[in-house]
Amino acid sequence: MEQLILAAGGCDPANDIICRPENVIELFQFEDNLFTIGPWGITRTVFLILLAMVIVVGLLFFGLRKKRMNPSKYGVTIESLMGFVRDDIATGIIGPEGVKYYPWLLSLFLFVLVGNLFEVTPLINFPITSRMAIAGSLSLLTWVIFVFVGFKKNGFGYVGALIWPTTVPIALRPLVGLIEFVSTFFLRPLTLAVRLFANMVAGHLMLTLLLVSGWVFMSSVGEIGVRALIGVPWFVFGLGIYVFEIVVAVLQAYIITLLSAVYVESSIHIEH
Amino acid sequence: MVELKGAIALIGYGLAAIGPGIGIGLVVAAAISAMARQPEAAGMVRTTMFLGIAFTEALALIGFVLFFIA
Repeated sequence: MEQLILAAGGCDPANDIICRPENVIELFQFEDNLFTIGPWGITRTVFLILLAMVIVVGLLFFGLRKKRMNPSKYGVTIESLMGFVRDDIATGIIGPEGVKYYPWLLSLFLFVLVGNLFEVTPLINFPITSRMAIAGSLSLLTWVIFVFVGFKKNGFGYVGALIWPTTVPIALRPLVGLIEFVSTFFLRPLTLAVRLFANMVAGHLMLTLLLVSGWVFMSSVGEIGVRALIGVPWFVFGLGIYVFEIVVAVLQAYIITLLSAVYVESSIHIEH
Repeated sequence: MVELKGAIALIGYGLAAIGPGIGIGLVVAAAISAMARQPEAAGMVRTTMFLGIAFTEALALIGFVLFFIA
């Protein structure tokens, strides 16, 4: 509710046609501590990170607690989710040795999925992946893993193959090598993080803008009369976007996992 | 003269989004026609399509970042 007031602050339904939040950053930053544990203050974002962690661990723990011949419906759901990440992403992209990276990919997928779905969870309504710190840390971890794997599997030939690609004509090699070097070591982690972050920020803003506008207009029907009808299309559009955002949340979790696997694969097999 | 107000970074981001928009359209169009020709290869085509979209999107994302830091 505090969020709604924040977003609707300075909205004048008698003159505007849509409510714009006065300060967009306030929709993503929570300065106040919910509670403190020793020297650590737990803000809403930190609390949601811990909650996402507990949800992921709980999902896996209760799904795999008992090994049974005929698993329960819930167990089958968890197993098929894990099978999807293992077969379609880990071994499907990286190859047979991808099983080694399967734990990392599964935890990345589930954490980002839960974090993204917080956006459309009632009473939470805040995607933790819309904070660059979280998206950035996850993509930095992927970066560390694929650079480490590249050096471990190929030694310094990893960088050599990047800056001197033998499959292109010799006159183009410095140029292509420079592009490849920059894109591998700088643009990959940046775009991996920004893709997730930008999608979540855009979705959260769109939902806030449309649903809050609809709510403010429709609830002030006593003061502005027939102008309150402006709120109806905003609200209907907002509900449409709500469904769309569920798709986006799942898709972005899939894409960040898929791209992590592709980056690891390109570090293992440097010949192409 | 009409006075214009606003951030020029917005125009920059709009320009940065043109290329990736066309590119993603091409990628998805090719993926759809591939899936229509060979429905049994749809799973593989879909994975590759998402990869293509993700790589094409990169330029728009860089534009998005520049919009914030400009």
